[in-house]
Formats: sequence, structure tokens, C-alpha cells
Amino acid sequence: MYMKIPEEVFKIAEDIKTMRIRGAGRIARAAAKALKIAAQKYDGVNDSYEFRRFMARVADLLVSTRPTAVSLPNAVYYVMYHLEKAEGNVAELRDAVIHAADTFIAESLEAVKKIGIIGAKRIKDDAVVLTHCHSTAAVSVIVEAYRMGKIRHVYSTETRPFFQGRITFRHLTREGVPVTQIPDSAVRYIMHEVDQVVVGADTVTSNGAVVNKIGTSQVALAAHEARVRVFVAAETYKFSPATVIGELVPIEFRDPTEIVPADWIASHPNVRVLNPSFDITPPEYIDAIITELGVIPPQSAILILLERFGWALEKIKQGGIGRIRFEETLEE
Amino acid sequence: MEELIKNGYSRRESGTEYMFLILERFKAVAEKGEPEDVIEAYKGIVDELKERRPVNAGAWNIMREIGKYLIEKDYDKDSFISFIEGLRKKIDDSCWEAARVASHRVLRDDTIITLSRGVCLRRFFKILADTGKKVKVYVMESRPGMEGIDLADYLDKLGFEIYLIVDSAARFLVKNCTKAFISAEAVAVNGAVVGKVGSSLLSLASNEARVRVYVIAPLYKFSPETIYGELLKLPEGDWTLLMSPDIRAMLPENYRARAPIYDVTPPQYIDGIATDVGLFAPQAVPVILKQIYGSFPPRILRVDEIIESLEKKYMW
Repeated sequence: MYMKIPEEVFKIAEDIKTMRIRGAGRIARAAAKALKIAAQKYDGVNDSYEFRRFMARVADLLVSTRPTAVSLPNAVYYVMYHLEKAEGNVAELRDAVIHAADTFIAESLEAVKKIGIIGAKRIKDDAVVLTHCHSTAAVSVIVEAYRMGKIRHVYSTETRPFFQGRITFRHLTREGVPVTQIPDSAVRYIMHEVDQVVVGADTVTSNGAVVNKIGTSQVALAAHEARVRVFVAAETYKFSPATVIGELVPIEFRDPTEIVPADWIASHPNVRVLNPSFDITPPEYIDAIITELGVIPPQSAILILLERFGWALEKIKQGGIGRIRFEETLEE
Repeated sequence: MEELIKNGYSRRESGTEYMFLILERFKAVAEKGEPEDVIEAYKGIVDELKERRPVNAGAWNIMREIGKYLIEKDYDKDSFISFIEGLRKKIDDSCWEAARVASHRVLRDDTIITLSRGVCLRRFFKILADTGKKVKVYVMESRPGMEGIDLADYLDKLGFEIYLIVDSAARFLVKNCTKAFISAEAVAVNGAVVGKVGSSLLSLASNEARVRVYVIAPLYKFSPETIYGELLKLPEGDWTLLMSPDIRAMLPENYRARAPIYDVTPPQYIDGIATDVGLFAPQAVPVILKQIYGSFPPRILRVDEIIESLEKKYMW
């Protein structure tokens, strides 16, 4: 007889699925919290195998809510990795889960701050920095560098179609950073005034390519052409274990009405509006990825994956992300 | 359209349209007034050009031609008007011819990527449509101004298969394309092309993806001043080119924006410039300028020298 998954866990799973919980960091922390709650509430038979089986079911439920997200399975892998390594009775395994979940949550909250401190050291004195879209981690680097007196000016791209650059503008100016917004088309024009580029990441792949807001790759290309260094600020939970087995990161094409209104589209039958959300910056255009664990060259992304999700990699190799069933990977 | 206007859509004349407007103004002044009025209009247009379209090489070139005419000929209303009409026809023909030359580079199964909405660029697509080359076209939105929306509208009516994209998506999608075509506000003596901002970014991304880049630029777009080392100073706008006042009101009071209108594509990213006298490498510009002016370096009259001579001749 299976132990029932607690209501609170279902609620979190549902909130992630329906996007009531949004943003890579929040989703990851919510998943870790759900695993913690599940472990705390476990009152099934006092048998360590049964407990592992129960936790594996919870993990499967959580991963299934957003199959293409990276931060969510990574949070789950992190906690489940520690459970896998742990030995002992149910109480000891429960403690291992709670400890791992708490550590993940605390580290994730700390990550942006640490990235800011580490990344700021890479910023030159009197630097003009360009950033694209809105990234909490990139903003953290810029703000920290500004506090150290290193930033002269920041150029922030508008970031069509949603103008997330305006959020970046607000966040940076709130901290006193001098910012000028430019249209996305002007990044090559402005690049000769720029010393360094700092952007965030949605996903980092195993070969060091960075999937991020559409336009990032041409910012990096223009920077590369102008010999301007490019830094990517990314928490380790943005690294994608699934890419190790060659899986592609799906690029979402969003609603065309984000670019032009529906009536315009309706009156232009030969026009298709393509609205890709992300693009891929190859590692050769990235000088370094700044994580909370430290600065790495993009080509060393696999190091972060092994360090953080070594166990998960083995599991993924067996099944592939999305298809992996924690419950089936348990050994009797 | 209201939503687009909120996000900075506006109709701005292309380089060639602006030249046509100048010629219409001369014609209107000539029809009503005395030669002194024509000279005043001349000076007014020069001031406006400096302010609004300083890199419109075509406009400077016609101002030089008009100035030369007024210096050399005895003013006569009808002759002047017919000179202006002739000039208009010459520009019109050159633009069509450059578009035709460019169209020869296109194969039936090509996928073209482009931006903005230049007159010669539109004519190029018109010729493609008329000659049955129903290519696929990726059109960049082209901020500031979003003229890409107008071009997509024009191409829709011509029956092309069009993909409208944001400017940021150029590198991501250029790999689906086989050729890039851009228009020019000016071409410098070293073959660098001043075009709508984003042209250089598209050319860079095209080169990286090994997609060939062609510029459609009739000879009137060539800037002879650059032979003498003149730098083309590129004008910039501010937030007013990027959003409506309602949207601006929602942003912080200290919101600042720079909206460059043009950028410079270096010659090494351009495979060919299609002109009314043929297609050639951008680095061959001096050769072509020699053909036009008969010598290299050509003797060109500066506009302020022209104004001085005109004042002497007509105002005193």
C-alpha cells in the first residue's frame, strides 16, 4: 500500500504547473520545499526502502509539472542525490532530505549575492557595461561593481518584444547606477563605447553554450567582433544535465501578438510573425560564466554539472530527462 | 496601429523619399516666387538637412547639383522647373535601375533577410514579384521607427511569404536565409555603408552565418565628401523615437534612452553594392566615383561655397 503524497506537495506541484509560481529560482526553491514537506510528513511503514520509494514518487510528480524547465529538475536531482548517498533508517534518511532541501534553498538564495561579489571583481575600473534583457544575477554583478566604484555607465537594451530592459533600468537606477537604454538594433553601434558585457542565462548546456533571451547571441557576437569581454552570470541550477546526453534545449516560440497586434496579423495573410524567446550563444563568444561556486570558462560547464548533479547524470543517461522515473531507478 | 504607435512605430521618409520632398519644395517655390525665394529655400533646406538628415548623401548631392545649376545658368522659372523635374526623373530611374541590378542576384528559391523600408529596396521586391521570383522574406522590425512593419505590409500585398521578426532575432534566424539585402542612406569612399541602425548587426550576423550581403544603392547615394576625409556624423534620437508619451509617463522620471538612427557597415561585410551602373565590390567605390566625376579625386563644390556664390549672384 502506497503512502499518500501530502496535499501541500500537490498544491506546490499544481502552482508550478499553472505558473502561479514563476521564475527559475522560485520554481527550484518551491520544488526543494515540496520534497522537504514530503519527507517531514512521511508516516508510512518504518522501512528505508519504502521511504526512498515514496520520495521517488514525489520527485517524479514534481519533475512532471514543467518538463522543459531546468531549475526544477535540478532542485529535485540535488535533493534526491543526497538521499541516494545517505544511509540508515527512515529518520536518518528523512534528515538527509530535509538538510539537502534546506541547503539547496539557502544556497539558491545566497547564489545571486555570491555571483554579484565574484562577478564584480571581474569588472574593470571605470567600466562601461552593456547588459541585455533583465537578469537578477547580472544586475547583482553590476550593482556590486557600482558599489565598489567601478561602473561609469551602463547601457541596457530595450529587449523586444516585452521590454524587460525597462525592469533592468528600474533596478539599476534604484541603486544609483547611471543607465541609458538603447534599442536592440543598436548594440553593434554602441559596442565601441562598451568595456564589458554582462548577461544572465536561462540555461547553460554541457558544452558551455548559453541559452538566454533572444538577442543575447548577437550582443555576444558584436562584443566578440569588438574584442569586448562577455560574462554570463548564472546560478548553478541553470546548468542542464539533460544536455550531457545530447538533448537539445527546446526554444519556445511565443505568441505573435507580443510583437504586433492581432488585427494587424489578421489583415496580413502572407505574414507569419516569428517570436522566438531564446537564442543560443556559443561558448567561443563567452569569456567566463560566473556562478556562485566561482568563475569558470564556459567549456568547463561539465565540471559544474558533475559537481552539482553527478548522480543525476547517471540516472539521466539511463532514461533521459522527462522520461526518467525516480521510482524505477531505485535498487531493491 | 495604436498599439504599435505606443511602442514607437512612426512613418519617417526614407532617404530617397526625402530627396523627392526636397525637389517638390523647390518646384513649389519656383512656381510661385522670384529667384531670391529659391535661394532662401535653398539655404533653409541646407539648414534642415544639417539638422535632420546630415548623412543623406543623396540629398547633399542634389543640393550640389541644384546649386551648380543656379550658379551657372541665368535664372528662368520654366527652365529651372524643368531642370528639377529632370533631376527627379534621373533619381527615379537610377533607383529603379539599382533595384533591377540587385534583383538579378536573386534566385527563385532564395530566402532573403532585410530591414527598414527604403524606396529602392521596395522597388527591388516589386521587380522580384513582377518577374515571378516569389522568394521568402524575413523582415526585421527595424526599431527605432519600426519601418519593418511597413515593409512587411508592402510585401504582403505583393504576395511574398513573409516572416516578421524582432531585431534581436536576426542572428538566430539568419541561418534560415540565403541572402541579405539592405538599403543605404550613404556610401562612403572606402565602401562603408551608412544604413538604418541594425544594418551593420545584420551584416555581421550574416557574415558569421556565411550569408551574402548586398546593398542597394544608386550612385546618387555616394558621398564624395568622404574622399576628403569628412566623417559622416550619425544623428541620434531619444526616447521619443521609442515610445509614445503615455508609455514614457509610466517609466521613471530619470529614464534615459539613446536611439541611433543609422549605423555603419564596414566594407568587409558587404559582398556587393548594386548601383544603377552595375554591381561591384564596396572597395571599388573610388573607381566608380572617377567614372562619375571624370577624375579622382573629383573637384566638388562644398555647399557653403555654393551658398556664398548664390548670395553674391542673386542677393546683391
